[in-house]
Amino acid sequence: MSIGCHLFFEGIPGAVFRARVENIVTATFSFARQTLLFRTDFHLAGTRCFFSTNSQDLLQATKRWRAVTKSASTHSFEMEIITEPVVRFGDERSAHFRGLHHLVFAVLPPHGFVSFDLLRRRVRGVLTPAAADDDVFWNSLLLPITIGILGTTMGVAPLHCACLDRDGSALLVAGQSGAGKSTLTLALAQRGFALVSDDWTYISRDRLSLIAHGLLAPIKLLPDTIRFFPELRDFAPIRTLNGELAFEIDPQTMPGVTVKSISYPRWIFLLERTAAPGCHFIPCRPECVREFFERSAERLPREVPDAQMTRSSIIQELSEQPSWIVRSGEHPRNTAATISDFVLGASYARV
Amino acid sequence: MRESDGPNHVDPLDLLRRFVPTPLKAAYRIGAIRVVVETNDFSLLPELPLDVTVNGPHQQTLQWKLIRDKDSQGRLEEPMLLTSGGLAVVGMGTGCLFGLDQERQELLGFIGAAIDARTYHEFLVPFFCRMTNEGVYGDPHSYLSEESTGASDA
Repeated sequence: MSIGCHLFFEGIPGAVFRARVENIVTATFSFARQTLLFRTDFHLAGTRCFFSTNSQDLLQATKRWRAVTKSASTHSFEMEIITEPVVRFGDERSAHFRGLHHLVFAVLPPHGFVSFDLLRRRVRGVLTPAAADDDVFWNSLLLPITIGILGTTMGVAPLHCACLDRDGSALLVAGQSGAGKSTLTLALAQRGFALVSDDWTYISRDRLSLIAHGLLAPIKLLPDTIRFFPELRDFAPIRTLNGELAFEIDPQTMPGVTVKSISYPRWIFLLERTAAPGCHFIPCRPECVREFFERSAERLPREVPDAQMTRSSIIQELSEQPSWIVRSGEHPRNTAATISDFVLGASYARV
Repeated sequence: MRESDGPNHVDPLDLLRRFVPTPLKAAYRIGAIRVVVETNDFSLLPELPLDVTVNGPHQQTLQWKLIRDKDSQGRLEEPMLLTSGGLAVVGMGTGCLFGLDQERQELLGFIGAAIDARTYHEFLVPFFCRMTNEGVYGDPHSYLSEESTGASDA
């Protein structure tokens, strides 16, 4: 190791320096305990995150992250973040993800560059100091992505579905893109179901049952949703982090909507939009539900075979819940009312 | 009520492009190191001496898996090198992203569609070679060391 590196590791508190590799000036960030002085840990969707950073502001910000929930999980990962004011993160407008084997790279403009190591369950990132103040970045992007990428290595299956809670029982709403999951989710939330998640639900298992976790990310609604929810006129669509133009609504700001961070899966609805009026419930066999979730999940690398087994076993167990395909050509509020009656009827029947 | 034959669905997702086939394979020699390159693009096969020897039991071998990412149009940005233990990850905007795992002896990366052959062969391949050398023989941080321009605080 060079004198320069000795100086760095022995005493210089900064975590970044510039080096020359093959005549390429490189901003270099070393994730060493000596440079990441601020540490905490928190629970996130059934996992525990050991967090360290060189930024006191960022450490303070962790207290504001709504996604943080208590759990008894013993699964954990490390997240190390260096904040650095002078680096640029390119001119891209959308988040960009790539992965090979156990590594995943994420370019997250305007705030940073993050890598994920699935084998060692480590997240390393360089972010702008402004990221500390951007709770939307954490709650809508980095924390959900982290669980989305690492979750299966820690006994948590990220599934593409919404989750709503009624008296401790979860109703999962899945469906193809464009089926109207988010609009139905908002309509159900306005009918007294507590919102756990809109887009991604993280399923873990404790000794007795499956648990559905949400990270309380904003509800994302496409601009044409305004025809169903005139109250959206109070909001302006924005360019979301994946480049789409959409409303991003903090569910806690919507009148009459309550939120929860966990629930226990009891019903599954696979939503299909039809042109014909009416709302029909068609029982769905477990293997159909299983196939749907397996096929709508990101393929996992063979370097983490246990992750694939974990996810499959959670999906298998989940698919044993009562499930229906809902074919609806109705207004989302009418569909929500029908589902609500259906679910409440089932609950009464159970009592 | 009749049971459904099943919901509509799409094929399993590969949003991260993990499963892009890499049918092209060649072995090279960088000093004493045998480097096996797997890629999906002829133009990413490096202009290095081919290794024609039989892989001996004590030979150091490192795998490069390089994907030409046709969906990434980004140009190269100033490199950011994140080092931690035996893992080094480099981001150059969306034009080039790669990681070297010293323990697993593999270099895994994506080269964007906008990166031309000259940039690749004159700029990126030497970078990969240097990291490969240090990844096999050296301290994970040492590819920085000899040419370090000095430390500066964040």
